[in-house]
Parts: sequence; structure tokens; C-alpha cells
Amino acid sequence: MWATNLKIVGVVLGTLALYTLIANKIPQLQSEVPQALTLGANVTPEQLVAAGEKLFNGAGGCTTCHGLGTRAPNLLTDEKGTGPIGARCGKREPGKACKQYLFESLDNPTAYVVAGYQPIMPVMTKQLSPPQIWALIAFLESQGGTVDVTASDIPQQSQLTPGASPGNPGGSFAGGSTDPMAIINAAGCLGCHKLNGAGGLIAPDLTHVGARRSAESIRRKILDPASSIAKGYEKMAGIMPKTFGTMMNAAQLEALVQFLASRK
Amino acid sequence: MTPLLLQAAADTSRAYGEFPIIGARAAVWIAAEVHLMFAAFVLGVPLFAVVTEAIGIFGKDQRYDRLSKEFTRLLLVAYSATAIWGAVLTFFLATLYPRFFAYLTAVFGPSMWLYVCLFFVESFTLYLYYYGWDRWQTGRAKWGHWTLGILLNVWGTIVMLIANAWLTYMMSPPRDITPTTDPASIKLWHAIANATWMPINVHRLIANVVFGGAIVGAYASYRFLAAKTDEERAHYDWMGYVGNFIAISALIVLPFAGYWLGREIYQYDQSMGITMMGGFMSWLWVIQAFLIAVLFLAGNYYLWIGMGRIPGAERFRPYTKWLLIVLVLGALVWGTPHTMIADSQELAAMGGSHHPLLGALGVMSAKNTAVNLMILTTFLSFLLYRRANKRPVVPWARTGTLLQGAMFALAAAVVLFFGIRGYFVDAIVRIGFSVYQVGAVLSCILFVTIIDVLMARGAQSLGVIQWGKMPARSQYALFVLAVTFTWLMGLMGFARSGIRQHWHVWQVMQDTSPYAATPALGYASRMISLCVLIFLSLVAFVFWVGGLAEKSTYVPPSKGEGHVGH
Amino acid sequence: MNFARYARHPFWQAVAILVLAFVVIEWGIPALPGSAIVPASVVLQYMATVLVGVLIYVSDSEERWALFKAPLHAALVEPRLKPVRVTGLVLLPLLVGAVTLGQVRATVQAPPSLRSIHPAPPPEITFRGKTMTLTGLENPLRARPDSLPAFVAEGRRIYYQNCLPCHGDHLDGQGHYAAGFNPLPANFQDNGTIAQLTESFVFWRIAKGGPGLPREGTPWNSAMPRWEDFLTEREIWSVITFLYDQTGWKPRTWEKTGGEMRDAGGGHD
Repeated sequence: MWATNLKIVGVVLGTLALYTLIANKIPQLQSEVPQALTLGANVTPEQLVAAGEKLFNGAGGCTTCHGLGTRAPNLLTDEKGTGPIGARCGKREPGKACKQYLFESLDNPTAYVVAGYQPIMPVMTKQLSPPQIWALIAFLESQGGTVDVTASDIPQQSQLTPGASPGNPGGSFAGGSTDPMAIINAAGCLGCHKLNGAGGLIAPDLTHVGARRSAESIRRKILDPASSIAKGYEKMAGIMPKTFGTMMNAAQLEALVQFLASRK
Repeated sequence: MTPLLLQAAADTSRAYGEFPIIGARAAVWIAAEVHLMFAAFVLGVPLFAVVTEAIGIFGKDQRYDRLSKEFTRLLLVAYSATAIWGAVLTFFLATLYPRFFAYLTAVFGPSMWLYVCLFFVESFTLYLYYYGWDRWQTGRAKWGHWTLGILLNVWGTIVMLIANAWLTYMMSPPRDITPTTDPASIKLWHAIANATWMPINVHRLIANVVFGGAIVGAYASYRFLAAKTDEERAHYDWMGYVGNFIAISALIVLPFAGYWLGREIYQYDQSMGITMMGGFMSWLWVIQAFLIAVLFLAGNYYLWIGMGRIPGAERFRPYTKWLLIVLVLGALVWGTPHTMIADSQELAAMGGSHHPLLGALGVMSAKNTAVNLMILTTFLSFLLYRRANKRPVVPWARTGTLLQGAMFALAAAVVLFFGIRGYFVDAIVRIGFSVYQVGAVLSCILFVTIIDVLMARGAQSLGVIQWGKMPARSQYALFVLAVTFTWLMGLMGFARSGIRQHWHVWQVMQDTSPYAATPALGYASRMISLCVLIFLSLVAFVFWVGGLAEKSTYVPPSKGEGHVGH
Repeated sequence: MNFARYARHPFWQAVAILVLAFVVIEWGIPALPGSAIVPASVVLQYMATVLVGVLIYVSDSEERWALFKAPLHAALVEPRLKPVRVTGLVLLPLLVGAVTLGQVRATVQAPPSLRSIHPAPPPEITFRGKTMTLTGLENPLRARPDSLPAFVAEGRRIYYQNCLPCHGDHLDGQGHYAAGFNPLPANFQDNGTIAQLTESFVFWRIAKGGPGLPREGTPWNSAMPRWEDFLTEREIWSVITFLYDQTGWKPRTWEKTGGEMRDAGGGHD
């Protein structure tokens, strides 16, 4: 009887072991929880740098261009004797410290483009949350420089109004500034339009837009890009984002419209 | 995004408890899985206790009545085990996942009270059913007793439907419910009748029958191996056959219920469907294919060995090897992964992780064809087994057999035609093809069975089945079947709850505990094996206790009396 | 004839079937036109299935099982077969040792990876600050059938400017740089890639590239760039139109149920 019992136990355990073995032989893959970066008020520079490194190599997508290759400067290695990014960041733009320069290059990448490269970098503040941006800056500073990002740089989450996208605190461009050029830079208009010789080619030049359109027409065009299409650009219809109207406040819109209408 | 952040911020302490050593998730996992296995057992066994009792009543065959009572005796102990594990699960949920449990109670409170009431009623029906067995043995009383059995199933099924509502709500809450919805404001029926509720109900009902049959088969094979007399051996051999027959017959329709469930999941949320079939869990289905291939092979193997005890079966023996070849080829196709595991050299040679030639076997068309042919083959095995000791005498016997053969050929041709055609049409059309394939197989099964029953009328017998003349190998095959069914249930349970990933309630309530990540298949398989082991050990104990009770009341029959006929 | 006796004996039949199956899988299948080597994992899987089938064959009747066991039994007890016994007892531990060594030995090669080619897409994505719901999303260019040839031409131009180096002239993933990549660039001619997918899925993969792959799509050292940084929405849709037009595949369509558009694709992918 015990021999039979043992055999039964053997068969049961053998079957279980076989199934377990098969399931363990295949490469193992765990489905991770998507990480929302939460940095407390007493975050240390080391934590910021570690989080930034992850972003740089991962979700940030930085290495697509800033890695090997010639699309963008390599940030982690020396460039023309100026050292890695942490060492050279303070010397790029006169009057801008390292931290400010790095923030500007993430928030408004076309404001300063290193000689020899194209203005192709996307606005990272649209894709990453403020804590992520500052973690990234901390990581870049750590590459040959000193980390001076602190928790006070990071806007606290309670300041966010519900519904606003994280990269867009307050629901308006450039902190609500009514300076037309600040709005134009922040909204990325020059990605497509040209103004005073700078900017893209795929949309009409805005340098003399006031001569072609009234203020009313410009306002309608910003709020509803599909309302009218400039001659010669029919193929590009639908590219201009329809969201500008919701992204700036009324004062900003008016400032922008009046500025453009005056460009005769 | 923001509501989730707010929710995360609201997750202060007391949202989750901690369990020593194995952790909260593993504790709840074990409690839920073992509870579920016992529940499947106590829902599946009454289903066919009632059926076998009816066969006993209508066919005036005492043997079935005895079988039915023996099942019910197992039920009594298994029933309290189910209740104990249910209580363990409830307490674990309340202490380890209090915030989530509070949410569930807020939505489902009244249904939980009903659940408890029904559970109470069900228990007392079971007591009446079992203890009244011998008292209400004849005439109208027997009919009343049978009605009790039906009631037992009705209560059990409603209890299952209620519990299914809770877990399907976690998977597919109605779309208007968002993270900010106040759980108290959700209408109860709205939450119960969610997208996957009905498919799960049907799928589980069938699976319970399969599971009950498999466990009863394992019980019978254990008693067979332990039997001391030929009569006992004969009885348990027969019981094992009945258990296996019920399990395999119900298994044949299970894939269709599973297909419906998968379809509903896709319709509810595409990304959930892709996570399940093509994404994170895609390899789970290769393992599932392997397990089901084991089920088909072991079930057929048991039948083929069983033909050794039937006089006249030797006429069909030469054909079984062709059936085996079809089954093995089917298993090969079914197990072929679409995305193959390969190292970099092999990947380079193949030009990606799809094999240029075998990759064609990894898609739905090939797999549907393979499984439908395997089902047909298994049915053919049953048919040969049934006919083994009979020689039909009706004048149209030859025509009938030819007609049956033609039906098999036609069904196989339809399956193959749509299987191959599936490669040349749009996905949307291809999905519809599986319906034709299934239709062909099911109607073949139906019509061939009808012809077979008519043809068997007054058939000449080549000798009675010599129950008990089975080699021990066949009984171990029944054990493999039972273990595989149980393991498969654990695996499918992991698939069903794993596709929620890091959500307690899909896109409504996020799991923010340390165990939020969905584990890899290896870890899951170890957990499943552990649960199966716990369950089977307890079931072995239940069987042993059942044997004790029998011995204490068993009066050895006087010589020559034997026990009720075979 | 001695050979005929062996051919009818279940033990030698079993051995012959296993050898034959191995030859077919390892060398037969790769020799077929348009085929390639079978990965070791699949060979193992196939052989295990065949082995189970063979064991069932030899043991499903009493006589065959007794015959099958006879040579094994003889090899273990008969004095004249002592050399066979000793050889077996020496070789078996060596074989087990060799397999174990093979399993634990460190190699320079990257371990085999399990990479899901079509991971689950998110329900919606943010494309250049614009939220797009992928579920039910159709290619907007197909709404203008008369200008479709122009879109295909535009897509062709964009493909040759951007995609050619990796995905190749024939759209088969055999571009000039392809050999340097792991995972390899997708082969659009294969029936397992764009032929199985909705256009919204393809849009997601192009727009978000390697960095946008979820965890199950890993190891994500995929070289695919995030094309949303370089191409506009319209350009991506044009390329997709071109891919389907050039390969002749039809995109997977959304099922219409009660006015809603959802995918009902199943499949052990």
C-alpha cells in the first residue's frame, strides 16, 4: 500500500515539477507598474541624479539623439575640449548659469542652438513633468559639474490646478507673460513659421503677416487653424495644433494678435 | 493623470497590511486560489451527483445511485473546507487590503448579505440531501430527494454568480465608473452586470463540471489502486471511467466558452486583450497549449488502454496509432509559438523572432485548425471505445458507418479549408471563420452520435466489459489528468487576474502596494504549484476521511452476495 | 531477416521515430525553401511532444508495453549485455553532467530573449502635446480616397528619406544598417507584422519608437527613433499608407459593434 501511495505522490509531484520547470525555463518578464516620479520636499541631490539618469537613458528618449551619432552633441563626453555637459553648460550662453541654461534648453530648445546643429530638439517640458525636468537637469549637472538643483526648484504638486498638463503650470505659456516674443518662443511657433528670418519653412512667414490679415482674421486663425488656409500651403492643412486657444489666457492671446497684426 | 496622483497622495498608511515571510499578495493569492479550487469542486460534483442519480432513477440502475451517494459523501467534508478557505480569504482581504476591501463592500454590500444567506440555505440542503439519502430511497420520496439535489445546484450556482460579479467588476467595471466615482453611488445591478460577468459565469460552470469529473476520476483511481478485492476494483475502474468521460466531454466545449470570454475582454478594452494574448502574457498561452495537449493525450491514452478490457476491441486497435499521430501533430502545431525564444544568432538567421516557415503555424488560423482536429480525434476515440464490444445488426449498419465516416471527413475538410483560407483574408473575416470550424465539429459530433445510438439498437454483444482489468498505468494517467486540470485552473486564474496588472479595479482603483507589479510566469508557476499541492493534500485528507466513514459503517456482505451489479 | 525483426519491435521503432523526428526538425525544416534554422527552444519543445507521443504509443497496449520493456530489462540484467550496461551507466551521468555544464557555463552570447513584438498599446498617446485616442483611430488620409495616390507618393518619399537605412529597399527589414541591430528592424513583408495590426498601432510604434515601448516589448535597445520628433502627424500617416500600399497587406480593421468601433482581434500571437 505504501508503495502505491508513494508512486501516486511521485506522479503528482513529478507533473507539478514539470509544469513549474517549463514555466521557469522561458525568459522571465515581470509587468512593472509605471513609475510616477514623486520627489518629496527633502529630496537629496543623489536621488535627483539617480532619477535623472533613468530618464536620460529611458523614458526621456534623450539618447536617441544625444548618444552616438551626429544629430546632437553628446552630453556625456567631452566636446572640443570643453568637457562634458556639466562642465560646459555654464559657458554656453553669457549671463546664464548652468542650471538656467539647461532649463532653457529643455523648456525652449530653439532659443540657443549650438553651432553646427539643427534646431530639432522637441520641447521637453511638454513631455516630462516638472520633477522629471529638474531630475534631468540634476543628472546633466552631475556630468562634470556640481549639482545645485534643490527641492525648492521643483514646483510643488499642490500648485497644479487639476486638469492642467504637468508641463504647463498655470494653464498659460511663459508663466502668463504678455510679452509677444516670449509667447511665440514658448508656444514653439517658429518650429513652422518664420519671423524676422528665423524659424521653419512649412508654414507661412509671419514677418509681414499684418499686411495680409486683419487682427480679427489672425485671432480666428489661432483659435481655429482650419478656418482658413494660406495659398500654397493647402497640403499642410491640419498640421497647426488646434490647442493654442486653450493654452494661453485672454491677455496673452490679445497681446499676440495685436503684435502679429502690427507686423505690416 | 491628476486623479491618480491625488489617489496616490491619499494612500496613507492603513491602505495595505503586511503578512509575515511570504507577503500580503502571496497570502491572498494562496487563500483565493485554494478557496476557488474547493469551490469548483463543491460546485462541480453536485452537478453530476444529480445527473448520475437521475441516470440511476430513470435507468433503474442501483450502481449509479451508489456512485452518486459516494460523491455526495466527499462533498460534505469538501464543503466545510471551502467555507474555511472562504473565511481565510475574507479575513486576509480585510486585513491585508483594507482600503480595497472597503471599496468592494461599499459597491457590493447587499449582494454579500445575500451570498451569506444562500450559503446557509445551501449547507442545509446539502445536509438533507446526504443524510436523507437512505430514508428517501423509493417512490415519490426518491423524486423529492432528487429535487433536493437540483436545489443544491441552484443555490450553488447563484452563489457562484454573485462571487463572479465581484471579481468581474474588478476586471471590467462599467465604463462610466472613474477613479473619482463615489463607490456608494454605484447602482448594484449596474456593477454586477458588467462586460465579462456572463462569459465568466458560463466558462466557470462548464469548467466546474470538468474539474469535478477529473477529481472524481482521481479519487476512483486512488481507490482502484488501493482496492483489495476484484469487486472493489471493478467498481472504481468504472467510476474512474465515468469521471474521465464527464471531464473530457465537458472539456470539449470549454474552449468555445473561453473564446467568448476572450472576445468580450477585447471588446471591453483592446489594450487589456493585447496584454493577454500578444503582450506580457503571450507565453502563458504556449504553456496552456502544452497543458491542454497533455489533457487530450492523457484522456485518449486512458481510453486506448481501456480498450484492452473490452472483448472485440482488438478490431479497432490498429487505428489508434493514426489517431495518436493526428493528436501529436495537432499538439506540435498548437504549441508552436509565434514569437520564438531565440538567441541573437538564431534571431539573425530567422530574420526576426518570427520563423519564416514555422511562424505560419503560430497564428490563430493554424491553432484553431489544430485544436478542432484534436477534438474530432478525441471524439473518434470515444466512438471506437463505445463500439468496441458491439456488432450492429440493423440492416443499414454499413451505410450508417459510411455516413459517419463521411461526416468525419466533411467536418475535417471544413476545418482544414477555413484554416488554410484564413491565411488569405482580413483579420476581421478570419475571426468569423472559427465559428464555421466550431460549427462543423459540433454538428459532426451531434449527428454521428445520433446515428451511433440508433445503430446500437439491439446490437450483438461481443462480451461484457471486464471492469477492473486495467493496468496501473491507466490510473496514473487519471492522476496526471487531475493534476493538470487543477494546475490549468490556477494558470487561467493568474491570466484572468494578471491582465488587470497594477489595478485593483481596472482603471478605477490602482494597486499602490509594494506588490503592485504583475509577477513573471516563473514566479506564478511556483505559486500555482504550491496552491495545487495544498489543495491536493487537503483533498487526499478528505478522501481518506471519506474512506474512514465508510469503513466504520461498512458491513461485509455474506459470501456470494457480492456488491451491487456491474 | 534480422532487420525486419528490429523494424517491428516497439523499442527500436520508438528509437527510430525519435531519431527521424530530430533529423526532420533540425535539418529537414531548415532545408525547405524559404525556411531558416529552428531555434533550440522550439527543437526541444517539438522533441518533448514527440517523446510523449512515442511513450503513449509503446504503452497503450499490454503486449506492446511488455515488448518495449524487454530490451531495457535485458540490458539491465543479462550477463552477455554487460558491456552495454556499463557503457550506459557511464554515459548517462556524463550526459547529465554535460547538459548541466551547458546550462550553467557563462558564455559571451546574450541570453535568449523573450520579446513581445506587438506589445499592448496604451489607450491614448500624446502626440506633440495633442492627445490622441488610439482605440478606434482610423487613418485620416483614407477618408480622402481621390488624393490617396498623392499620399502614397509622399509616404514613399518620406520612407526613402528616413526609413530606408534600416527597413530596407524591399521593406523587408534588410536595410544597410540592419545587421548591426538587435532587435532587427521590422520586416513589413512578413505576415506577422503590419499585416496583423491596425493602422493606429503602426502609428503608435512609429510615433513613439523604441523609447516608447512598454516593458514587455523589451529588451528595448530598439534603435527605432521617436519619429514624432521629426515627422508630422500627416507625414506619419502618409508613410503608413505607403507601407500598406507597397506590401499589399490590408490593415486590420476595427469591428463595428453597436455604433462603437473596437477591435475584436484574438490570437495566440
